[in-house]
Amino acid sequence: MVKPKKQELEKHEIEGAKEIQGRVYDIAKNIVHQIENEHTPTFSTKVRGLSNVYFDEKKGFIQLGDKTVTRPFLNLGAARKFMQTILVTEKCNEYLKHSKTASIREIYYELKHTVANTKENTFDAQEESNDVIVDIEHSVSTIREKLGLQADPKGALYGDITLIDRKHNNDEFNCKNLGRGGWSIMSRLEPDEIEIKDVNADFVLVVETSAMYGRLIEENYPAKNRAILIGVSGQAARGARRLVHRLRYEFNLPVIVFTDGDPYGWYIYSVIKSGSMALAAHSKFLAVPDAKYVGMTLTDVEEYGLYNVTEKMKDGDIKRAKELMSYDWFKSPEWQKELKLAIDKKIRIEQQALANKSLDFVAKKYLPEKIEKEIFL
Amino acid sequence: MSTEKQTKPEVQVSKDGIDANVLFSEFKEHSVADFFKKNRQMLGLYGKQRTLTTIIHELVTNSLDACEEAGILPEIEIKLFEIGEEYYEISVIDNGPGIPENKIGSALGKLLAGTKFHRLVQTRGQQGIGVSGIILFSQITTGKPTKVISGTSKEKAVSLEMSIDSKTNSPKITNKSYLDRKFRGTAIKAKFKEIQYKKGQGSVDEYLRRTAISNPHATIIFEDPFQEVTKYERIIKTLPKIPQQVKPHPKGVTVDEMLSLARYTSARKVSSYLMLTYDRFGQTAIDSISKMIHFDINKDPKKLTWEEAEEIIAAIKKTKFIAPNTNNLVPIGESFIEKSLKAIVSPEFCFVYTRKPSVYRGGYAFQVEVALAFGGNAGRLVSVTSPKAKNRKDSLEKEEDDTKDVRVSEIIRYANKSPLLFDAGGCAITKTVQSVEWKRYGIQNFESAPITVFVNLISVHIPYTSAGKSAIADEEEILAEIKLALMDVSRRLGRYIIDKKKEAEKIEKRKVFAKYAPEIVQALSRITGANASSLQKKLDKMVLEKLKMDDLEEEIEKNNRHKGKDEIEEDVIEDEVIDE
Repeated sequence: MVKPKKQELEKHEIEGAKEIQGRVYDIAKNIVHQIENEHTPTFSTKVRGLSNVYFDEKKGFIQLGDKTVTRPFLNLGAARKFMQTILVTEKCNEYLKHSKTASIREIYYELKHTVANTKENTFDAQEESNDVIVDIEHSVSTIREKLGLQADPKGALYGDITLIDRKHNNDEFNCKNLGRGGWSIMSRLEPDEIEIKDVNADFVLVVETSAMYGRLIEENYPAKNRAILIGVSGQAARGARRLVHRLRYEFNLPVIVFTDGDPYGWYIYSVIKSGSMALAAHSKFLAVPDAKYVGMTLTDVEEYGLYNVTEKMKDGDIKRAKELMSYDWFKSPEWQKELKLAIDKKIRIEQQALANKSLDFVAKKYLPEKIEKEIFL
Repeated sequence: MSTEKQTKPEVQVSKDGIDANVLFSEFKEHSVADFFKKNRQMLGLYGKQRTLTTIIHELVTNSLDACEEAGILPEIEIKLFEIGEEYYEISVIDNGPGIPENKIGSALGKLLAGTKFHRLVQTRGQQGIGVSGIILFSQITTGKPTKVISGTSKEKAVSLEMSIDSKTNSPKITNKSYLDRKFRGTAIKAKFKEIQYKKGQGSVDEYLRRTAISNPHATIIFEDPFQEVTKYERIIKTLPKIPQQVKPHPKGVTVDEMLSLARYTSARKVSSYLMLTYDRFGQTAIDSISKMIHFDINKDPKKLTWEEAEEIIAAIKKTKFIAPNTNNLVPIGESFIEKSLKAIVSPEFCFVYTRKPSVYRGGYAFQVEVALAFGGNAGRLVSVTSPKAKNRKDSLEKEEDDTKDVRVSEIIRYANKSPLLFDAGGCAITKTVQSVEWKRYGIQNFESAPITVFVNLISVHIPYTSAGKSAIADEEEILAEIKLALMDVSRRLGRYIIDKKKEAEKIEKRKVFAKYAPEIVQALSRITGANASSLQKKLDKMVLEKLKMDDLEEEIEKNNRHKGKDEIEEDVIEDEVIDE
C-alpha cells in the first residue's frame, strides 16, 4: 500500500482548550460591548441547512458556506434562543477554563432551571440546548469536542497502536493488548486528551458491522496484514470519524472502508470520506477525502460467485441509491457503474455473506487479495 | 293604550302578503272565528312557542306605538302566569295615553276597524291582526273575555271585560266599573290555551331582549311564569321620530292596490286619482301613460276595471319615474344602537353603521342598519359538554364539571325595529351575514365566535318571504345594502381585532425581554466579570427604546391603513383583505 503524501496538520486540528476558550470568551465580551455601547445585543452564527451547504471539490468534502444569521435579543422570536445561547456559552467557557467535560445531556440538565419570576424553563427539551450547541460550534469554528462537550460514544479500535489518555492518569496502552474487544472509542478524541503515541501499521480498515470487526480479530487479520481495525457499528459516530481522520492526517495512514454492499453501507463510506450535510461545518475535522472503498460491491458478487447470498433491495434502498448517484463525490465512472448495477439488479449483499465461502474467507482471501491489488472503488 | 288611529290594523297588501280585500270579504261570508282557525298559519299563530311570542309581540307593539304617538317614553310591564298545562294568563300594562272610554270598544273589539288598507308607513306591525285579533284568539281557545283597564289623563280610569261577537264582528262589553286610584295607560289581561312558555331561541325572553335593544327609549319589565323578573331600563330619553305616512310610489303598486285605492279616492278622474294618490306622479307621466292605454284616462276611478288597472300598471312599467322620497324613513341611529348594545349585550366592543336610504324594485324606499357587538357578553350563551366528558362514565359529577357555557355567534334580525325571531334560515339577512368571509376580518370561525350581529331593515314595505312575516325575501338591492353595511363594520372589527392582537404582542414583548434580561446579564457578568447591575440598567433602557420604536412604527402603519380606507370604493361589493 502506498502511503498518502505527508501534509502539515492544519491549525484547527491541533488547537487546544486555551485558544478555543478565548473565542468563547469573545462571544460574551462582544455582547457586553454591544450593551455598553447601546447596540442591540446580537449573536451571529452560520446558517445551517441545505441552502448553505456545498461540496468543496478542491478539498473533496462537504463544507458549510459563509452565510451568517444574526440573532438579536430585542426580537420577540429570537429572545429566548438568545438567552439560551448565552447560558450555553457560559457553561462552555467554564468547562474549558477548568478543563472539565460534560455530555450534551448533562449540560442540558445543568442549565435547566426556571427563569426567575416566571413559570418558564430555560430549556424545555434537550433539542433546544443541542441546537444552541451547534450554533456555538459554528460561531467559534470548532467542534463540540473541543468545547468540552461530547455525544454518546460508539465504535471500537483494535491493532498495534499506542494511546495515552491525558485526562486519566496518563494511562498508556496498546490496543492490541486489550482483549478481543479492543478499545472502546471515546466521543472526544482531541489530541490534548487522547494522544496517539505510536502506530505500527500500514493502513486503517474501517468496518461497518461489529460482527465483521469480531471476525477479523478472531482470524488475527490486523497482525497478519499490519492493519488498524476500527469497527463503527453502523453509521460512524463523531468520535470514530475523528479518530480515522487523525490517523490519516497525523500518521499518514491510508484509510480503507469495508461495508455492506448496499446504499446504507455506501453512505457510511460517503460520510467518512466527504462528511455529511448535518455536520458540514465539521468536515475539516472529520472527513477523509482520499479514503478508499474496498467492498462489498456488486462486482464482488460476480467475481466470487455470491449471487445466491444476495438479498432484494427495497424501494427505499433503490431511492437512496439514486440519490447517491447524484452526489458529486460519487460521480466517478466506477461508482456510477456500480450504483447503476445495483439499481438495475435490485440486489444488495452483506459483509457476512462472505461466510458462505468459509468463515475465514474474508480474512484470508477476500480482503488481502483486494487490498493487495488495490481493487477499490 | 291605543287611540283609534293607532289600532287600525296595518294589513300590508302585496302579492305575497294578505290581501285585505279577500280578508274583508271573508269576514262577511264566514265567521271571524272560522277565518282565524283556517288561517292561523298566516297570522303567525301556530306552534305553541311561536304563538305565545306572537301574542306578546302584538301587545307590546301596540303599547310602543301608542306611547310614541302620544310622545310618552314607554314603560311596559309584561307578566306571564301559568294556569295549567299549555294554559297561561298574560298581562301587559303600559304607561301610554290610554283609550277614551267611548272608543275602547271600537279600538280593541273590532277586527280591521275602519281600516285604510293602504297606509304606507314604516310600522312595526307584522301581522296587523292587532289587539283585537289577540282578544279573539283568547276567546277561541278559552271561551273567556279579556280584561281591559284604560286610563287617560282626562277621565277616570275604566275597567271592563270585553269579548268579540264573531258573527257581527262587534265588541261586547261587560262588568264595567271605575277605578278609584289614578291610572294612565292601558292594561290588558287575557287567558290563552294552546301556547307554551319555553326559554331559548324564539322565546318571549329573547323577543323582549331584542325589542329592548331596538327600543332604547323604552323600559321593559318581564315577569316569567317562575316569577323571575327581567328589567330592561330605558337607556336614552329621546323619543324616536314618528314615521310619516307616504304616498305609494307607482313602481311598487299592484293591480289590486290600484283598484282598492281607486275605490277610496275623492278624485273624479283616473288622471287626478293617479297624481293625487301616488308619489312622483306628474303630468308628464300621465301624458306618457295615456298614450299607452286603451280607455279614457279621465274616466271615473271608481269605475276602473281589473283589466284597465292592469293596463295602467303595464304602462307604469314602461314609464320613467323619479325614485321615491326616502326622507320619511326613521332609523334607530348609530349612537342609539351603540348605547343599546353596550347596555344590554355588554360586549367588549361594538361597531354600528346606518347606511343612507336606498330604493328597491324602483318603488320602495328602505334603509339598513347594522351593528357588530364583539367579545364580552356578545353572542348567544350555550352549554357545551366536552366530548371527553361524554365518553367518561365514572361519575355524574364529573360530567357536570365538564359542561361549560360558551358564547357563540347570534344574528339578531329586525324589520322596522321589530325583532324577527323565526324562519332564520330563509331570511335574506341570515344569508347575507353567512356570506361574509369572516376569516378576512380576523374571525376564524364565525359560528363559534362571541359575536352579535344586529341588522335592522327599515322600509315602508318590508318584502317578507311569506305571510308568516318572519323572514325577508331576497331583494337584490336590499341584499347588496346589507352586505355593504356588514363589510364596513366587519372591516372595523377586523382592525380592532388586529390592533388588539398587536397590543397583546406588545405586552408579551415587554414581558419576554424583561424576563430573559437578568438571565443574560448574570451569565455575561460571570464570563467577563462585567458589572451586572450596570449591564442590566443599560439593557432595560434599550428594551424601553425598542418598544417605543415599535409603537412609532405601528403608528405609521396605522396611518397608512387609514389612508387606504378612503380609497375603497363604497359601491364595490368585493371584500378587501386586511393586511396583517
